[in-house]
Amino acid sequence: MSRDAILARIRRHRPAEAALPDIHAPAFITYQDRYAQFATLIAGLGGHALTLAPGQTVREAVDTHWPAQGRVVDTTQAIHDEAASPHDWADVDIAIVPGQLAVAENAAVWVSQDALAYRSLYFLAQRLVMVVPRDALVDTMRDAYARVGFAEHGFGSFISGSSRTADIEQSLVMGAHGAMAALVVFE
Amino acid sequence: MKDDSIRHPAAAREFLADRERARWHDSAIWWVRQKRDAQMAQLPEWETLRTMAEQIKAHTLSRLDEYLEAFERKAEENGVVVHWAADADEHNRIVHGLLAERGVNKLVKSKSMLTEECGLNPYLEARGVEVIDTDLGERIVQLRHEAPSHIVMPAIHLKKQQISELFERELGTEPGNFDPTYLTHAARANLREHFLSAGAGLTGVNFAIAETGGLVVCTNEGNADLGSALPPLHIACMGLEKLIPRLEHLGVFTRLLARSAIGSPTTTYTSHFHKPRPGGELHVVIVDNGRSEILGREDFYQSLRCIRCGACMNTCPVYRRSSGYSYSYIIPGPIGSTLGPSRDIRKHASMAFACTTCASCDNVCPVRIPLSEQLVAQRARAWQTGALPAGKRAAIGALGVLTRHPALFALAGKTLRKVFPILPAGLAQDNPYSRPGRALPEMPAQSFREWWLQNRKKP
Repeated sequence: MSRDAILARIRRHRPAEAALPDIHAPAFITYQDRYAQFATLIAGLGGHALTLAPGQTVREAVDTHWPAQGRVVDTTQAIHDEAASPHDWADVDIAIVPGQLAVAENAAVWVSQDALAYRSLYFLAQRLVMVVPRDALVDTMRDAYARVGFAEHGFGSFISGSSRTADIEQSLVMGAHGAMAALVVFE
Repeated sequence: MKDDSIRHPAAAREFLADRERARWHDSAIWWVRQKRDAQMAQLPEWETLRTMAEQIKAHTLSRLDEYLEAFERKAEENGVVVHWAADADEHNRIVHGLLAERGVNKLVKSKSMLTEECGLNPYLEARGVEVIDTDLGERIVQLRHEAPSHIVMPAIHLKKQQISELFERELGTEPGNFDPTYLTHAARANLREHFLSAGAGLTGVNFAIAETGGLVVCTNEGNADLGSALPPLHIACMGLEKLIPRLEHLGVFTRLLARSAIGSPTTTYTSHFHKPRPGGELHVVIVDNGRSEILGREDFYQSLRCIRCGACMNTCPVYRRSSGYSYSYIIPGPIGSTLGPSRDIRKHASMAFACTTCASCDNVCPVRIPLSEQLVAQRARAWQTGALPAGKRAAIGALGVLTRHPALFALAGKTLRKVFPILPAGLAQDNPYSRPGRALPEMPAQSFREWWLQNRKKP
């Protein structure tokens, strides 16, 4: 089999030993106001961030931000639509999903929930809402990776804003294949 | 697939014939370099990140066999099927076998330079599989039956008018509508149908985590996510150098990748795959195809640190002014100009000379590959293996003799300075200045050496 031949060739060709650095040793950037950093950044990435007003529900905030809606699936609720196949999410207009943490340096939200069978929901929905606890906002990806867990069938994704492309003459277009727009709700 | 017989100087001359377009290409790509600089300036730890990325990759390569075995063990524990391919042909056979066993006749693909390297698309198409490239830029070049001209921006060589005409023909868009938003959304609607009807999805791999057996795929478009979330079969193809030891190391690489590649703080999606989706299968194909040979070459193994961000081509004055199609290997620019010659020096020797040795690439590379040194070393290999065209070989040979014999060198210089000015124009043509718009420089009265002997301070 090729496996053993490949591994044998690598063993024969191993370069000199090199030490692994301690990536936690150096100080990385910190933000005085992580929320402001996150909100400013995501505005340029096809997204929007907001904090719930006292007494306001997530659904109220979403309805205010995006009034006209088609099918809404909200997996932050205990009872929500289920799909029999990943293709069943194809007609979803707005998906509201829990995000476990948010990253100030790049406006990414970590998404990995155990209650969802088919992750296609995140990518088929025309618009994506991620709901994140306000205190789960970290400075950098190094802090984020110290906290991520793979609750969802071994899957997890950092999602930063809307899907986008600049493949035609470097013109930035929001809405490539995934969500056309993103909303991050801090609660 | 690309034509191996491309020679950089001739192809670049052709590209530069359209000065207007060449200038646009140069400035469009330089703009991406500037966006990268703006991102870099926002992180005080940028250079530290580059050093750590270099060290993590260097360490991984020094124990690559162990990390590959650890990755395989964890991935199999997670229910992932691991395949090993010694070369392009074996890779293609494995992928086709997986599709054929399941009767899949449509495959949606996200970006993978590895599958370009292996020639997977033509291989599958010849066997009746419809292959749909889903990255917008890749879809555009696929519909034009072209190879990508850049590893991150595959259609950067095209103008929106050309894409509009292509989409009008292929997707039925409005004639004369050049609006990038309109064109992108037309492709979105068309490709969504393909995502929903495909029997399998194939992705590349940005990083493979030895510790967890996980795969990381980064896109802005979300095409890798749709392609792997919808069909029941997800095939991920990776070069064996994609390994990193631990999950936490992504805290270094994900900070560098998109900033270096496109001047963005991150890609929209950084997705981690450890298991098949419910009811589905996940297969990973680990491909060697010459990499383990490069690992054994003192001068060149560091090129295996590459994370395929494309920053080296965005900064390269030669790439920006000659475009990806002037390079014979599927990966153009500085990194391609060491990987291509490493693969086949006879086919790709001209790439090693498509370089001013300005070393700008060395300074932007997020994993600090000494690219300019590698290109110089590839030139030496081109000489040693007889891969150079006769004219270049003769010129380098002559220069070699001159530089080894100082007296001869001085005499040759003196002769040139006297003879050149009195030569008829036609005789002096075979030199780097014999291009329209250029003139031979004035011949100085004396050489630097002569000037130095006259003017140096006597002790």
